[in-house]
Amino acid sequence: MTIKRWPAVATMSLLGVLAWTIPAAAHHSFAMFDFSKTETVKGTVTEFRWTNPHVALLVQLDAKSGAAPEVWSMELTSPGNLTRGGWTRHSFKPGDRIELQFNPLRDGKHGGAFDQATFLDTGQVITSNLRAAEKPGLE
Amino acid sequence: MTLSVKWRGVLAAIVGLAAWAPVHAAGSVINPPPQAKDWAALASLPDWSGVWTPNITDQMRRVESDPVPWNKEAAAQIAKLDAAEKRGDPKGLFVNCLPESMPTWMLITHNALEFLFTPGRVTILGESDGNRLRRIYTDGRGHPDDPDPTFHGHSVGHWENDTLVVDTIAILPETYIAVSEAVGIPNNGDLHVIERIHLDKPDVLRDDLEIIAPHVLTKPWKTARFLFRQRARKYDIVEGVCLQGNYSEGKDASGNAVFVPVPQTEGGNYLPPADGPGKP
Repeated sequence: MTIKRWPAVATMSLLGVLAWTIPAAAHHSFAMFDFSKTETVKGTVTEFRWTNPHVALLVQLDAKSGAAPEVWSMELTSPGNLTRGGWTRHSFKPGDRIELQFNPLRDGKHGGAFDQATFLDTGQVITSNLRAAEKPGLE
Repeated sequence: MTLSVKWRGVLAAIVGLAAWAPVHAAGSVINPPPQAKDWAALASLPDWSGVWTPNITDQMRRVESDPVPWNKEAAAQIAKLDAAEKRGDPKGLFVNCLPESMPTWMLITHNALEFLFTPGRVTILGESDGNRLRRIYTDGRGHPDDPDPTFHGHSVGHWENDTLVVDTIAILPETYIAVSEAVGIPNNGDLHVIERIHLDKPDVLRDDLEIIAPHVLTKPWKTARFLFRQRARKYDIVEGVCLQGNYSEGKDASGNAVFVPVPQTEGGNYLPPADGPGKP
């Protein structure tokens, strides 16, 4: 997982690579998320819970015309695992405007597995990839 | 009969001594203080320093390459759980936040762990999911005659050259033998785990496990798990309290910082306040 500034085109070209980066967690299975579906929405961060065993990002999605705004809950791996990819408890703050990519819960509830987010004001992309630690790191 | 306060005290002291004396008379087994040579001897052990992250890809591959020899009854249960996971309706085995336990911690963890060598003991400390800790006594002791069953069992180990051989018994029958967070069944008792842990490459640690579970397996299950050494400080183990995930940070009526329950699905997924039964 890295936090880097990517131009939009580069970001799009990365999506295929990122598709296999299924979040892994020890607390519960992630099979309840439908990884065959990736939804992309815009919204505003309402809360960032930096807690074990799963970090959660709550986002109020931009309402479609005439609809009431909805808050959705995104799950990630643990703070420890995310820290290794450069995340901190300050990676998101309430009010951040983001474009969010996630894999939705299969049961239709307002939750999903976080895939990646782009900060709309800076273009910064933030994602996670546990598999990055699947090799020794000696430096 | 009445006793003065003074004599009540004397009587209490005598009763107390009587209760203590048999234990003392039987003799306590003493853990001797380590000497300089015991600390120096640690230097001859292999270097397992650093933080170790699991090879998750290989974990998943080994479900196919080292199939678990489930007995007929267990296989039927596993097939149902496997089907539930494949259709996206998994039963979470660990959503109650009890430890993954032995040997499942070593089998399915996606989190880092570290090894501490001290005279007479190897300690394994894990990250996340609550109380992850194994004490492996390497001081030559055997298992107790009648150990209390625990989540991680009672472990004794010895070094065969650069391989730590660990024998673990007394694991709670309710703990799972699992191949994922959603597929596994209780070991149902008499579980025995033998491990041979050694450096497979200079910075790859290999744990060869032999899992003997006579009530759910037809024969010992032999498999292996691999861990990668990490030296970057960002890999330092951090605290991970599983139950913390059931709460968010909030304020009570007096303005105190308090934990507030968050809504979750039965499977342990977080839900936004509008969806949940336990609206914060």
